[in-house]
Amino acid sequence: MVPGMQQVVLNTVQYALFYLVFSIPLTLSYRTTKVMNFAHANFITYGAYTAIFLHGVLGLNTMSIAAVAAFLVAGSMAVLSNLLVFAPLQRRGSSLSIVMIASMGLWIVYKYLLYIVTDIAHHYTAKNFVSYGRITYVDIPRIVVGGAELSQALVAGLAVASITIASLYVILEKTKIGRAMRAVADNPVLAEVSGIPRALVANLTWFICGGIVGVGGVVWTSFSGATTPEAGDSMILQVFTVGFIGGLVSLLRTGIGAVLIATIENMGIALLNTYLNVPVSFKPFLTFTTLIATLILFPPLGAGGGLPYRFLRRGSRR
Amino acid sequence: MIDLIGFAISWLTLFGIYAILSLTLNLESGTAGITNFGKVVFYGVGAYVAATITTYMTLILNGVDVGETPPYDVRGIVLLGELGSRNPLLNVGLLVLSVVVAFAAAGALGYILSYPIIRVGPAFVGFTLLSFGELLRVFLQHYEPVGGNKGLMAIPTPFGWVADSRLREVAYLGLVMGTLAVTYIVTYRLVNSPLGRTLRAVRDDEIAALCLGKHVPRIKATTLFIGSGFAGVAGVLLAYYLTSVNPNMFVPAVTFNVWAMIILGGFGNLKGSLIGAAVVTFVDRALTFVTPQLGVTLISPDYLRWVIVGLLIVVVLMVSPRGILPEEPIKTPALDIVSDELGGESE
Repeated sequence: MVPGMQQVVLNTVQYALFYLVFSIPLTLSYRTTKVMNFAHANFITYGAYTAIFLHGVLGLNTMSIAAVAAFLVAGSMAVLSNLLVFAPLQRRGSSLSIVMIASMGLWIVYKYLLYIVTDIAHHYTAKNFVSYGRITYVDIPRIVVGGAELSQALVAGLAVASITIASLYVILEKTKIGRAMRAVADNPVLAEVSGIPRALVANLTWFICGGIVGVGGVVWTSFSGATTPEAGDSMILQVFTVGFIGGLVSLLRTGIGAVLIATIENMGIALLNTYLNVPVSFKPFLTFTTLIATLILFPPLGAGGGLPYRFLRRGSRR
Repeated sequence: MIDLIGFAISWLTLFGIYAILSLTLNLESGTAGITNFGKVVFYGVGAYVAATITTYMTLILNGVDVGETPPYDVRGIVLLGELGSRNPLLNVGLLVLSVVVAFAAAGALGYILSYPIIRVGPAFVGFTLLSFGELLRVFLQHYEPVGGNKGLMAIPTPFGWVADSRLREVAYLGLVMGTLAVTYIVTYRLVNSPLGRTLRAVRDDEIAALCLGKHVPRIKATTLFIGSGFAGVAGVLLAYYLTSVNPNMFVPAVTFNVWAMIILGGFGNLKGSLIGAAVVTFVDRALTFVTPQLGVTLISPDYLRWVIVGLLIVVVLMVSPRGILPEEPIKTPALDIVSDELGGESE
């Protein structure tokens, strides 16, 4: 039996919720707009820093207000990235790789702009924004299960994840705009011919996706003891792996992937640490192994511009 | 007073090292269409191979028990400083050994890593290589025999026995430029060979290349082997130039730097890569020289530099996606004859 099992289980649940909130928008944005967005990590960080600046500069510690603000900030960031960079590139017929490289450039710009902003904020408030402590929010209800009080991050994470899934389900399955989003994802040209305003749908998708990730970032500030401008980057491996497990197409498989990766990572490293004395920071290796295994065993054919090489590999080619 | 000759030497050395990276990245990404976001992996492997071989071999061949005084230990570092520049033959021999082993190790890693990724699209390729770089860094940070977080220091340089420091720098610059020349010739010949034409076919339309009987996965794996091998050699040169390596030198940002170079210079144009490398490293060096004069500023020049690198990638892709020098048609004997006949009009 691994010592501290209860904590390991709690961590698994917590991370599963984070990966869910971060990677479902990744899959949704990729399948609707066909942009492999490396700046996705910035949405997490900017969401978290919206809450941090509200807390550190204005002294606000209400999560609901911070969440709304973060939704607007990260959502507008996503829409702006699309309007200024992705959409013009796609209109010109640039390949998937070129748009992906441009998103990588955006990633660097956003990341270091945030560093600059934290420096300026530090100059005027004399607070350390480059590594910000955990924020205790006043508007999160206290929930006690079996005599133990759940942490704020867990309560907030549960709430955000369930609201996200429920509202995405309603939007995608029950509303006209959701049908339009799915249509654009399935066949953009056909959707446009049928009179769906493709550009509008793309922008709306970006706003929703960026916003959800930003709110996830706010939850992160109530969990992490030290939020840095690298917070999003440190999770990018896990978030993208989860997206790849879903093949960047299926939201359901993405959700399953989130739970799977959180379990493999937290349970796996706890076991390895106890029995083989592997340092806890080797956690990403488990995720990477899962990523490679996914790519070899279940190559997401067709997704991300891939070719159905399966036929080549099985020896049908002479 | 700013030391202009010193500045030129340090800039050119850095340019040479980065140009090797940008030339091979251009071969992989610009010509073959492999979105290699993990260039730093092979660079780092090369640097660590050189650092490990040189420090351990120097100590062992001088009769030091590395079990007692490993090279990452303070006593090891002192010993390396004493023993490092005694025997010119040993220094040069270790350089050759490092280059060979680094090329083989980095190339083999590139070949192996290509297995899971050549069958999937560019999104997966880029991301897998990017995250492998981060894993390598985590591993190096915790692997004690290569110094863990501190890395390896006081690596004996190939020209450590040259007494005059300026002469030493010039000799090293000569070595870097020589390696760059070899890299340029190899990549130039590759791009203008039948393989180069196949690579462009793969980049432009994988399905068509596949249908024409080209074994696309194998071609991509070969390209990654060659490109990664040369990146490993660039790593060797970096290790000897800085005489120290540590895991935090090999962050993804290095890869982005190289990407900015090839995008600025032009996709698929080797001369463009050289220009891109020259411009980016010049700005880098110039900032390093200027920064200390500015004192403490509200906005750190380092952050500003990265914002500029990122903006460079985005803006060049938006405004002029072909870069400074657009891709040229492949030089074949037939093309030469035709353009001679036409009196150079077809150019």
